Amino acid sequence: MAKADYRMGQRDGSDQNFDYMFKLLIIGNSSVGKTSFLFRYADDSFSNSFVSTVGIDFKVKTVYRHDKRIKLQIWDTAGQERYRTITTAYYRGAMGFILMYDITNEESFNAVQDWATQIKTYSWDNAQVILVGNKCDMDDERVVAPEKGKQLADQLGFEYYEASAKENINVRQVFERLVDIICVKMSERVDTDPAVVTGAKNTRLTDKPPQLPQNCAC
Amino acid sequence: MLQAPEVNVAFLTESERELILEVLRRDEELRRAEEARVRKLKAELLDIRRKGAKRSSGNYSERSCGRCQAPLGRLLSNASQCQACNHHVCRNCRSVRPNGSWLCSVCSKEADLKKCTGDWFYDQRVNRYLNAPGHDIVRSSLRKRSPVKKRDTVGAMLLQSTDLNPSNRPTAPLPRPRLKDQVTLEKRSEPETLNPPEGPVKEQEQQQQRSDTESAEKGSVSSGQTGTESSHGTPVLPRNVAVTTEGGMTESSSPAGSWMSIPAEEVEPNSITSEPETVVNTPPSVVISEEDKLFKRSTRRAQKLVENSSSVVDLRGDGAEVPEVSMGDRSKSVPGLNVQLQEEEEDEDIDNLVEIHRMTAGGSIYSLRSKSTLGSMMSVYSEAGDYDIVDVKGDIVFSLGYDDRTQTLSVFIKECHDLAYGNTAKRRTNPYVKCYLLPDKSRQSKRKTAIKSNTISPTYNETLKYSISRTLLLTRSLQLSVWHHDRFGRNAFLGEVELPLDSTSLVSTHDECVPLRGKATSPSQSSAFAQYKGELVISLKYVDASETPVEATKGKEKKKKSKGAGGELHVLIKEAKNLTAMKAGGTSDSFVKGYLLPSKNKSTKRKTPVMKKTLNPHYDHTFIYQDLTLEQLSGMCLELTVWDREALSSNDFLGGVRLSSGPGVLADSTEDEVCLWKKMMQYPGSWAEGTLLLRSSMGKNK
Repeated sequence: MAKADYRMGQRDGSDQNFDYMFKLLIIGNSSVGKTSFLFRYADDSFSNSFVSTVGIDFKVKTVYRHDKRIKLQIWDTAGQERYRTITTAYYRGAMGFILMYDITNEESFNAVQDWATQIKTYSWDNAQVILVGNKCDMDDERVVAPEKGKQLADQLGFEYYEASAKENINVRQVFERLVDIICVKMSERVDTDPAVVTGAKNTRLTDKPPQLPQNCAC
Repeated sequence: MLQAPEVNVAFLTESERELILEVLRRDEELRRAEEARVRKLKAELLDIRRKGAKRSSGNYSERSCGRCQAPLGRLLSNASQCQACNHHVCRNCRSVRPNGSWLCSVCSKEADLKKCTGDWFYDQRVNRYLNAPGHDIVRSSLRKRSPVKKRDTVGAMLLQSTDLNPSNRPTAPLPRPRLKDQVTLEKRSEPETLNPPEGPVKEQEQQQQRSDTESAEKGSVSSGQTGTESSHGTPVLPRNVAVTTEGGMTESSSPAGSWMSIPAEEVEPNSITSEPETVVNTPPSVVISEEDKLFKRSTRRAQKLVENSSSVVDLRGDGAEVPEVSMGDRSKSVPGLNVQLQEEEEDEDIDNLVEIHRMTAGGSIYSLRSKSTLGSMMSVYSEAGDYDIVDVKGDIVFSLGYDDRTQTLSVFIKECHDLAYGNTAKRRTNPYVKCYLLPDKSRQSKRKTAIKSNTISPTYNETLKYSISRTLLLTRSLQLSVWHHDRFGRNAFLGEVELPLDSTSLVSTHDECVPLRGKATSPSQSSAFAQYKGELVISLKYVDASETPVEATKGKEKKKKSKGAGGELHVLIKEAKNLTAMKAGGTSDSFVKGYLLPSKNKSTKRKTPVMKKTLNPHYDHTFIYQDLTLEQLSGMCLELTVWDREALSSNDFLGGVRLSSGPGVLADSTEDEVCLWKKMMQYPGSWAEGTLLLRSSMGKNK
């Protein structure tokens, strides 16, 4: 595979040099720090000034995990309601979500449930989600206890981190964890079930429905 | 009129729009690169697959490796069965998976590819919420370009929509749009219909959305002046499904709730769409999109011929071994008409080629660049696929059913009312109904009813059946066309309807009565490259007038020096790779046909000899076109099509290329095609060689 990638890298530009491509999406209320989080991760930069994202934006970053080069297309979405039509359109096709709230903003935390519903509504199966409480550097203004975040994450079935884009706490970890769980999901899908590889073959003439729950790990 | 782009981005300011468009453009770039990468990867896999795998057709010893075919030991101790493909393979042909198990080399490669291409994820066509607004509306508005490109983001559509929007043009210069991106404005209705931005959307609004889409579609259908493809579109059936809330979802206010529960009470018990909770994981097997035919195996097609004789062809197969359509098949649906039918058959596989000539009449905005080609296409293909054109009227009554247990789609054709006269002079109509599951216009997807004699309101009560998995089916559109069969003259097209298949249309319990419409322009060809059809290796050379006499002696064509003001174009058809198999046994008898458009006569028609029983034929045959100047060539289009020779029937289309000096000139040539053509013109006297991807249809995309 690597060889093939190299060859194509020359043809289509050097950024073709990767094994997998994952699409990730960062969502959450306005001003929780989605854009900062992405900038910190992709460019290792941070700015205190707040500029509201217009609709959508994305950055590309290639990471190296488990001997594979993984190209991430990370979509940053506007938290503002008015862009919702545009942003939700991107849920489809996203393999991983970072659902973000601001630990100093109760309202952003209360909205997590709604965001989770949005994910359920618009995303595809097998999409992985991590709940992130951002701005954990601002502990003196904290209104959402870590335990509450953890509890909610458990309840929703998401993984949970507290992070700070400003102080660069847990930013890389969040992305790497998300990549990892997507990889796990991918292996589950592909490696543990030969039928996935071969299409309809094995179950073609049998009655599928009874088998479904067993195959359904998620 | 509800033009999508307007509504869609209306709430944005000019500067916001620009910003977003810029993002979308970057995304578009990325997506294209990714698509190219995926296509390459799949081509590679195909290559590996072809090497040495046992085919169901061949006789192989039980004791040989299913991959390398090395003899296996007596004890079978060193041979085990690959759990994916069930071939017994030797040690060398095994590959250990990350989880410790192993698969045979090919299956392993396929698994890797699923990861590399992202198909493991994108192939789950079954959303938890099958009818989630975005998805559904996108799909329905996309019906013309099915199979829906699974990687397409809504953003791409947003991008194009805005781009097509005149008000935006000045601020949004776009890199040359690709073929498949030439989607219609109509398609844009998708984001627009997402319009109510609030998270939870009320049911009525959902319904409203639907009808918006419909009216948008209808509007565009009726307003021929919009100049977009949509103005010729085959109408979609209105789907006024009563939205009910029940099933697993409690909040009727949640969009998911109301949408997913639409089919809940009507759907067959086994349906994967009925209960979101039960479909959290995609059924592992049903996921087969068009593109992934590549991934299907060649090992299991034994019973096909049997099925075929009852006019049920297994579409789940990958088409690598298309059983020959027996005369029995035909005679079954049309008793006693075998002989005459053959001429009618002619139109079948080139239907889609022929119908594009209608575009010219419609005054499409693209006709500027395509008119001349189309004109010639018409003559090119009409030699085989000619049919009469009559006014379209009347309607057709049918119903659909899907049996999840047998994975069978039943199309019950009840009757037609008040059809036009196929033979206007004699006021006679002998109507029959033909059915395709678009985008597949091959014989496999064709079903026909019996021909009813001399009636404009025929009653058929016939059921046409397809064996096809539900997921695959959801990528298809049902096309019913009504034809007048003329024993002695030409058949006439009486009208058609097209219905994108989704869960709602599959559970119709009552008969649909739908007015017939005229020919759609070029449905389902939005991406001629969506399906991998193999490659064609050719070499081009332009020979200057001064050198012509020397070179010309080599040509097979008759040569007249006296003519020779211009030079010659030599087209060496070297070989084709990975062609689609059309014959039983997984092969094809192929030949290449060439036309130099826009010439309207047959003088530019060239053919190679037929290469039998191979999917990788070496033709090594040269077409020579004489008396051409470079200027002329720059305005011409070389169209090469590959066909499977069918002795007793119409030839099957296997793919084609269209070379020209640019998309603006005459044809919708791709970058590679343009590049090769230009190279030829740039270096007279030397060969320009290239490998081109075959497109799966020659219909125009624009």
